[in-house]
Amino acid sequence: MIDCREAVSRMWAYLAHELPVKPVAEFEAHLETCQRCCGELEFSRHLREAVAGGEGATPIPPELRSRIEILLAGADDANRGSA
Amino acid sequence: MRTVDSPAERRLFADVARDHLDRLYGFCVRLTNDPSDADDLVQETLLRGMRAYDDLRDASRAKGWLFAIATNASRDLFRARGRQVATVPFDPIDADGDEFSLFETIAIEDPFPYSDELHLDFLRLFRDDDVRAVFGSITPVFRLPLILTVVHGFSCKEAAAILDIPLGTLLSRLHRGRKQLERGLWDYAVMNGLVTTTDEDER
Repeated sequence: MIDCREAVSRMWAYLAHELPVKPVAEFEAHLETCQRCCGELEFSRHLREAVAGGEGATPIPPELRSRIEILLAGADDANRGSA
Repeated sequence: MRTVDSPAERRLFADVARDHLDRLYGFCVRLTNDPSDADDLVQETLLRGMRAYDDLRDASRAKGWLFAIATNASRDLFRARGRQVATVPFDPIDADGDEFSLFETIAIEDPFPYSDELHLDFLRLFRDDDVRAVFGSITPVFRLPLILTVVHGFSCKEAAAILDIPLGTLLSRLHRGRKQLERGLWDYAVMNGLVTTTDEDER
């Protein structure tokens, strides 16, 4: 049986589905008997969501997008020029 | 390193790059914490990617490949700007901070004495900008693993490969980043008057 300290240390890996089977089983067995850790798990889930905000995609400002398109398209042109 | 040398390959690279642009840009923004540096970094990443496209053997790994290039390019960019390069600080930072628990602190300080959702109410205090500010204040070397795993959904193993560090090192940095995030959120809430602490009550 794992204690709260150990359960907390596994929490983020559990939320990321990165814990192996046995540690998951131990963790979930702990949750069944520990209201405190259930609360922290829920809190951790929300905290991770707050940090993740939009899953990392940030719309590119139009001016930068134009420069990037020139860069990507320009590569084609340069290549055609040298071909 | 062989450069991309056929129009077809270049078009392939352009397609791959376009597929990941918004995420790559989001990564650069969080990595640099500076819009102008993020602009430079995303363009430098694409230029380097174009030159090294032949190294990408598996298109399904393109996102991680681009992120690894961006990580390396950021080190050079920071050096050129005279900014702190993402190295591990010498001193064992916030030794007690490593044990800091935001969940416990909120319970002890009880900032919303009449709330049934004490901990979630604490998070609700933060607007997106507040979270970004706290997140940006995490030591870069500990922030990177958080960006890769929590924000961009890479596995720890993938994140370790992108950063070119052993998995154990990645896990340790991830833990320290998480602890800095927790302490940062609490300190930010106190400093900005979002919560009233018992210390202030006693004054």
